[in-house]
Amino acid sequence: MLVSKTSYMYEMIRTELTDILGAEFVRTGEADKFGHSVDYYWVPEMWHDRGMETPKPDFIVHPGSTEEVAKVVKLANHYKIPVVPWGGGSGSQGGALPIYGGIIVDMKRMNHFIKLDKESLTVTCQTGIIARHLEWQCNKEGYSTMHLPASIACATIGGFLAHRGTGVLSTKYGKIEDMVMSLEVVTGTGEIIRTLPVPRHASGPDLTMLFLGSEGTFGIITEVTLKLQPQPESRQFRAYIFKDFHTAMSAGAELMRSRLQPCAVRLYDEEETIHHVRKVFGMELDQGAYLVFGFDGRTEIVDLQMKYAREIMEKKYKGKDLGSKGGELWWENKYKFFYPPFMFHIPQAFGTLDTVATFSNIENVYWAMKKVVNENFPAARFIGHFSHWYEWGCMLYARFIFEEKDVPKDPREAVALYNRVWDMAIRAAIANGGVINEHHGVGLKLGHFMKELYGPAMPVLEGIKQQLDPNNIMNPGKLGFKGL
Amino acid sequence: MHIENYTDATQNCRFCFMCRHLSGIGNVTFTEADTPRVRASMIYGITLHPEKLSEPDFIDTIYRSDLSAACRFHCVSHFDENGLNLAARADIVEAGLAPEYVKVIAEELKQSAKWSSSGQGNVLYFEDRYTSEAKTVSAAFRKIMKKAQIPYMTIQGGCIGKALAVLGFGKDAKEVTQAFAAAVNATGAKTLVVSNPAAYDALTSDFPTFGAKLNAKVQHTSEYLASLKLKVTQKAPAVYYLESDFLKNYDGNLPGPRALLKAMGAKVLPFGTNNEESYTCAEGAVVLPKIDATLVEKLAHYVAARADHPDEDVIAVASPYTKIQLEKYTKLQVKTLEELFAAAL
Repeated sequence: MLVSKTSYMYEMIRTELTDILGAEFVRTGEADKFGHSVDYYWVPEMWHDRGMETPKPDFIVHPGSTEEVAKVVKLANHYKIPVVPWGGGSGSQGGALPIYGGIIVDMKRMNHFIKLDKESLTVTCQTGIIARHLEWQCNKEGYSTMHLPASIACATIGGFLAHRGTGVLSTKYGKIEDMVMSLEVVTGTGEIIRTLPVPRHASGPDLTMLFLGSEGTFGIITEVTLKLQPQPESRQFRAYIFKDFHTAMSAGAELMRSRLQPCAVRLYDEEETIHHVRKVFGMELDQGAYLVFGFDGRTEIVDLQMKYAREIMEKKYKGKDLGSKGGELWWENKYKFFYPPFMFHIPQAFGTLDTVATFSNIENVYWAMKKVVNENFPAARFIGHFSHWYEWGCMLYARFIFEEKDVPKDPREAVALYNRVWDMAIRAAIANGGVINEHHGVGLKLGHFMKELYGPAMPVLEGIKQQLDPNNIMNPGKLGFKGL
Repeated sequence: MHIENYTDATQNCRFCFMCRHLSGIGNVTFTEADTPRVRASMIYGITLHPEKLSEPDFIDTIYRSDLSAACRFHCVSHFDENGLNLAARADIVEAGLAPEYVKVIAEELKQSAKWSSSGQGNVLYFEDRYTSEAKTVSAAFRKIMKKAQIPYMTIQGGCIGKALAVLGFGKDAKEVTQAFAAAVNATGAKTLVVSNPAAYDALTSDFPTFGAKLNAKVQHTSEYLASLKLKVTQKAPAVYYLESDFLKNYDGNLPGPRALLKAMGAKVLPFGTNNEESYTCAEGAVVLPKIDATLVEKLAHYVAARADHPDEDVIAVASPYTKIQLEKYTKLQVKTLEELFAAAL
């Protein structure tokens, strides 16, 4: 049901929500509605920028407990009203936009730090906690989640779980899904369930993994237990400039194949090195591709790993050593890239073509995407860096940017252009072995690729959705599932 | 419109999430609207659709801000969403759209703008309403000055323009600053000392802007008392120091408070989990207790929840305002810098 079309029912539903949550936590004001109508997705930002109305929820609720979440979901099932979970609202894929109105379940009131288990090295919290706040609390006890993405200041832990987020230290500590012990979830029918308390078992398929990345379409994750790490005794970085992107990629891949354990590796292509890294660091860099990596842990072990890594970089691939200072600069400025004016923003049109592939495929993916963007959209700039590295491959953080003069004035034409770039670039990535997303999620933006990506496996996902959310109220129209 | 003077903030803050963890009000209301990004985005909407300025919910949101300026201090480019918010308030007032609750407060502030002075000396101590309400602050200052054998004058009274300016009543604020400057100048004081950081910021930032010329040098009590180089007879206790929004985020991280804590031998412990969030209970908003006391209560509880040992810790503040709010709503032991210093002499 689309609530706003029947005003009497609107008031009835508001009364029932108020009964569950209290008047203070059921909001319908214009400022609140507006605040939940624009996330970090370029389309709603542009839409608002052009003075267009953005899709708004009918109600915004702030539950204080899992039981309240369950009651809200049951109520929504009764009336068949869309429910859209909302964390920090910093998603770039439109995953939390209330495209059909309905109820936004803003989780930030569920922000309690529940328990830090120093024996098992785990931390349990409600999922509405802003990641920076959780990290600060862990740091005070001498620990870290090691989940340190650029969105740490704005995103909630629930948001990261919902779309399988990644932090800057993913190479050693993994993505968020590698950090999870167990979850508490309110399913799409309003049942409260808990997944098994440990992630390694042989008691059937892994329910925890089922909910990670489900983007609020299967239910709402209300509590999580995460692994913790002690703060390392030492963390060191070093950077190199290579003559070209290919050489730098070869060096980085060999570093990973050596099975040394860097905590982070990041490689910027020539264009991003010149135009972006240099600007953020405020220093001159030679022409070429900038590669930075780091190790953390016991000092002796870090020193030894750094020694072997330097041999790979310098002896075999002839990288120009920027020293530890060149690496520390990246660590110190790792989030600066995302602050204005260093981050792209409107009136530019831009998108992050987040793709992940094996080392065998990643360069082909990069060149295929670059070619398709350059040939079909000559006004667009294509830049890329490789920001999450694993034993088998890495993630390409490719971006296209149109300057204001090249973006159509008509907002619909602007969206059409934007979507054409995405469609062509993503299809080029998939054709070359890329998977369309590593850590931004699917949301609204990439939903239409899910059938292409999954092929005959898509009905399996749809069957799970049907079982967990038979009325299709949970974030409808996202993740490639049907809308209303 | 005043908001047009903050295009940088409008054009950058509305696309940026990087300071949302520092949204003081947002962290207790949990709403998106109470974050710098959404406020900036709403204000941008007004530049496109000026009629939206009259939307009551938007106006309430603007007047709900804690104005800590923690976002500006944190931002790598120091974009001024705080100033944008103040500019929006000025536009609301000048468009005749100030809500009744704001008009009532403003009228009361205008009526309060009267001061009386007493005493003798070259130093003039300003007891604003929060300093007077805190009671122990001016008593501690008196004790210190007696110990230092420095005669001083006192000027007491109400609003000196800060609260009016914060509410968006710029013209009234200007008049009040000029009247207060005249009152101060009439005393012949060479140094004007203030305990309330809001008054300090008004005197050092707003007065020059409004053309209100003071003949006296303005110092926060922490600066002034540290400069006396008095010997302490007993070391101050270990304290958790809560930064003042004005002294840290508005006034260039004034070194006075930490210098005075050092002078009294106090060990300063880190409060909570970080030194970025505002723990002042909305000092920057000056009169939020009159706008919405329940918000101030929530902010106070937010602070108390971050104390290591809420029943035992000694919390040091540079702000009588913060002391009043924390004592009103929590069981924290809160001492101003003046009180701690007086006890150490």
